[in-house]
Amino acid sequence: MADTVTEAMAEIRRIAREELEFEGAVEPSHDLLRDLHLDSLGLTVLAVGLENRFRVLLSEEDAQGVRTVEDLARLVATRVAARASGSEAGAHP
Amino acid sequence: MLSTTRHDTTPSPSLSAVGRALPPHYASQDQLIGALRDLWATKHFNLERLEDLHRNVQVGGRHLALPLEEYPALATFQQRNDAWIRVATDLSETVARQALERAGLTPKDVDHVFFVTVTGIATPSVDARLVNRMGLREDVKRTPIFGLGCVAGAAGLARASDYLRAFPKQTALLIATELCSLTLQREDLSIPNIIASGLFGDGAACVVLRGAEASGATGPRVVGSRSVFYPDTERVMGWDVVDTGFKVVLSAKVPQLVKDHIRGNVDGFLAEHGLTRKDVRHWVAHTGGPKVLEGFESALELEAGALERSWKSLRQVGNLSSASVLFVLGETLEEAGAKPGDWGVVMAMGPGFCAEMVLVRW
Repeated sequence: MADTVTEAMAEIRRIAREELEFEGAVEPSHDLLRDLHLDSLGLTVLAVGLENRFRVLLSEEDAQGVRTVEDLARLVATRVAARASGSEAGAHP
Repeated sequence: MLSTTRHDTTPSPSLSAVGRALPPHYASQDQLIGALRDLWATKHFNLERLEDLHRNVQVGGRHLALPLEEYPALATFQQRNDAWIRVATDLSETVARQALERAGLTPKDVDHVFFVTVTGIATPSVDARLVNRMGLREDVKRTPIFGLGCVAGAAGLARASDYLRAFPKQTALLIATELCSLTLQREDLSIPNIIASGLFGDGAACVVLRGAEASGATGPRVVGSRSVFYPDTERVMGWDVVDTGFKVVLSAKVPQLVKDHIRGNVDGFLAEHGLTRKDVRHWVAHTGGPKVLEGFESALELEAGALERSWKSLRQVGNLSSASVLFVLGETLEEAGAKPGDWGVVMAMGPGFCAEMVLVRW
């Protein structure tokens, strides 16, 4: 799980830099809205990038508890773990 | 930052007629999603999310320059642009002839053609091709304008009006022709491109503008206009020009820019003419998308239904870039039941990022 969190962090940094043209540092404690200045489109780009890379689904409900970069990376890791254990949360649509 | 054209003492040109045309090929949003779904699946995992993005723009369907099945074969910029020149010229001729007929004029009456687009390029430009096709005069002046994007409908009205103040006996055409579907980068599976492919449609409009001293000029008068440029917003909207054509740059900051600025911009513009928002009976807004229209409504505190023509146009044909606001203008001229003395504001925003407002009086 810790490895997946690290991988998700790296992917968030890549998406921020390459797809969202964000030039600053991306730290685990950074607030997605306040520090990364993500708007609705930016959040969608980030979610889609993570879904594609890790083959998981991230729902609106999931997003409720997500505020920081680390929150998001942990959510991805949770979904990856759920998929590995065969739960429906990570199943392909 | 602000540039206002006031003409309290100079005669105002009139908007005599608006022609509109859509290509004959129509695809509903579900048909378009069906056509794109397999393509999306080559990269994306959560296709339902992408379908929701397509549906959230509240467009029911789009008219397309070509039959849907012909798009996959358009692999290169040359192929897309060749199709653009062919269809754009046809559609431009249709709307120009329609507008002139509605104004009771002939091609020989035209002194100046302003042609705006952001979806294809041609040299000689489309307006030049229309001179040959329509039999415009040999001394007709032409101003092709590329790159203003969605704002070009309103900005074109303003620039053509500026011209007619200098030459008040003359007649100008403003032609806005946009074939957004031919800019679609199939290989660009980015979210902005997927949203753009759900929002933008194809169409053309032509406005006949006549100087204040042109014989028989009718229609509402263009009293003034204002351009507004928002500094350091170049990445909010535009094209990245790539080997395969125009790759869309689209930021979600557009609705926020509307909310942050348009109220102050409109109030300042109207105040220069001794007016307030309550004096304006007809709002003609570019159909940028649901969030842009909601931004206009909330920032300007408009009454329910004030932008109904824009909403209806968005639902029926999507965002036609520069042609959109002219479609809404045409509907307003023909259906709004405007009375002499009524004020109207035409407004649009586009790459720069910038806005253009045009004050009209019936």
